[in-house]
Amino acid sequence: MFRKMVKGALVRQKSKFIMIAFTVALGISLATAMLNVMFDVGDKVNQELKAYGANMNIVPRGSSLLSDLYEVDENYDIQAGAEKFLKEEDLPKIKMIFWANNIVDFTPYLQIQVKIGQEKADLVGTWFEKNFKLPTGDEFSTGILPLKPWWDIDGQPGDDEILNKVMVGKELAEHFNLKPGDSFTVVTDRGERSLTVGSVFQSGGREDEQIYAPLQLVQNISGKEGLVQRVEVSALTTPENELARRAAQDPNSLSSLERDAWYCTAYISAIAYQIEEVIPEARVKAVWQVADSEGSILQKTQLLMLLLTFLILLCSALAISNLITASVMERSAEIGLMKAMGAGNISITLLILYEILIIAFSGGAIGYCAGIGFAQLIGHTVFASAVAVKGIVIPLIIILIMIITFLGSLPAIRILLSLRPSEVLHG
Amino acid sequence: MRNSNRIFMVKMLLNSLLRRRSRIAVALIGIAIGATVLLGMITLCYDVPRQLGQEFRSYGANMIFMPAGRATSLSLDDVNLALALLPAEKILGATVYRYASARINLQPLTAAGTDFTQAAQTSPFWKIDGRLPSQDNEILIGADVAELTQLAPGMSALVSGRNKNRVGFNRPMLISGIVSSGGAEDGFIFMNMPAMESLQGNSGEADMVELSLTANEEELGNIAAAINGSMINIKAQLVKRITRSEASVLSKLESLVYLVTAVVLLLTMICVATTMMTIVMERRKEIGLKKAIGADSKNVGREFLAEGLIMGITGGLIGSVCGLIFAQLISDSVFARSINIEIYLIPLTLIISGIVTVLACLVPARRAMDVEPSVVLRGE
Repeated sequence: MFRKMVKGALVRQKSKFIMIAFTVALGISLATAMLNVMFDVGDKVNQELKAYGANMNIVPRGSSLLSDLYEVDENYDIQAGAEKFLKEEDLPKIKMIFWANNIVDFTPYLQIQVKIGQEKADLVGTWFEKNFKLPTGDEFSTGILPLKPWWDIDGQPGDDEILNKVMVGKELAEHFNLKPGDSFTVVTDRGERSLTVGSVFQSGGREDEQIYAPLQLVQNISGKEGLVQRVEVSALTTPENELARRAAQDPNSLSSLERDAWYCTAYISAIAYQIEEVIPEARVKAVWQVADSEGSILQKTQLLMLLLTFLILLCSALAISNLITASVMERSAEIGLMKAMGAGNISITLLILYEILIIAFSGGAIGYCAGIGFAQLIGHTVFASAVAVKGIVIPLIIILIMIITFLGSLPAIRILLSLRPSEVLHG
Repeated sequence: MRNSNRIFMVKMLLNSLLRRRSRIAVALIGIAIGATVLLGMITLCYDVPRQLGQEFRSYGANMIFMPAGRATSLSLDDVNLALALLPAEKILGATVYRYASARINLQPLTAAGTDFTQAAQTSPFWKIDGRLPSQDNEILIGADVAELTQLAPGMSALVSGRNKNRVGFNRPMLISGIVSSGGAEDGFIFMNMPAMESLQGNSGEADMVELSLTANEEELGNIAAAINGSMINIKAQLVKRITRSEASVLSKLESLVYLVTAVVLLLTMICVATTMMTIVMERRKEIGLKKAIGADSKNVGREFLAEGLIMGITGGLIGSVCGLIFAQLISDSVFARSINIEIYLIPLTLIISGIVTVLACLVPARRAMDVEPSVVLRGE
């Protein structure tokens, strides 16, 4: 009997119920889209912020001052052997730490001073875009080109395999009047070498006064085979909090529980610590200009999306409940008749709730699918990549539908229960 | 005749709005929610990119002044002239640096003279252990320098070197703090500009100026071009790493906000429309009765139009107030800044909510008008 009545009501008042289901579907699709985007926006924005380049610097222990000194005080004599290096063969280990997947790019540098004619210039060896296989079997590609996407390159980008082709900074190129395709000779204490300009680039920083060459070339010229001076790393990190700050000061001050929490979170200090674990002679420094700003922008964006999502959920919940109230209220004659025939308050309430829930859930199911579509639309338009569909959204949506329908039907049910059959039915 | 017709119309409208108080309340809530979201989201949409732009200034300087041509230093007079060319409200900070070689406890390094209040604006990412120098005999040392020399805040260090005229100086200075940035600053020592000038024996000179401007890449490019055009001794250059990345990230965030706003607006408008439709649909009987006693379709249509308009504007007004609160709430809790209110958005919201409501009323009303009075009324 109960099921028959529900079915009867649903079929008879088809158009009205379709309208409610449609509105619920709209509201739920909005909620689904916002929730999915909200859960994913952190990762997405984090990826975008990688455009700012490296947020970590790896240098050999105890030598961090030398390159700056070199620049400033030419009379300061660097004793042979005083300079320290990292081993190039150690670098793939960076991709084997606990947070390996968060390491987006890294590139090594080996900088030497050369002479072009009578003038001094910096020649920097690096990886342009190097592919290598990890011991785990995965392939990985990294280098300075993906790390510095803001470089304006005029000509062919550097290639790690073509040793004599170099990239020249704009200021230096203008000074020596070099254009892509030109050749020039660099002189070192160990001999001369003829190089070809593959491209001229502009970065807006100190790089504009330098020459970038494949690492192997600079190692050959300087006789520092297999060595690098420093490594820049770009990693996806979690914004710093109190725990991370304490850990950065002294990891030993944490309790073992706190230490585990810190080690297993992608804090920049935790990633730095893990790199120091696999390359013991390295010292890893966070570049606060990038790391700090990243954290603050990430938090702001997430908070913005969270608040927007919350307020929009609230609004769509209100709108849907509103509609449900309106549609339940107009069924006074029907309810009056049921009451006249002896229906109790509880059975009427159950009947109405049951009907509304069926409609709401069918509308919600359609809305969920549409919402996933909206989320992908936003993901592809804004970030040119798909938004991850999070499973947690489904239970959230179900709870949301329940709350909306109950709250929405509550005022209407109260009115209906207080109806007097004779008043509504007197015709 | 026309006059009495009009009075009758107003009476009917008032009656119809007052009689069905609870239904009208439901409709008004619906419209108000729609208008809240509309005004709130559009206001945010206008303001969020600006607010986010401010956030991006935490990356520090986005323009630098360098000596142009063969000059090795900037004159402070030129720098001030160049700064006067910039729109004052766009300058967040302009920090003048003067560099010199120095030794600290006989270790050679770079010393920089600067203005620390400005440096806090152009390098907000400096982490200071201790405090910034306030007196001329205090210095701030980089983290690498501190590690190398084993100096700590509160200790005193001997700063020595030669000034421009190759005359040696030798001065004990108090370390007020340690700065760490992960960049070149870690290897520097910093002091107040007057201290540097007294060490070097001359004043009015600088090596570089860092500027943090609230402007996008294009504006910055124009500013740099204007300065390079009118100042012979200064070369203004964009810090491409900052400007380019900011442009790309900010444009993504902007389009995220725009797209979310568009989707939300569309769905909210449809929600308002369906609410109105449900409410109007139940008035078929009323329309039938009106037609039975001689009203033509035009009259009925006009009445619905007027009702929709009144409700749309009232709901829009309530929603505008709530929408501004909504936008202010978000701006306040996310960016800790109050929002810029564009006044012309309020009438726009009223107009849109009026139009949406009227349109939503007209569709079901038209359908109801097609119905024969006898069919609708036969149950009575």
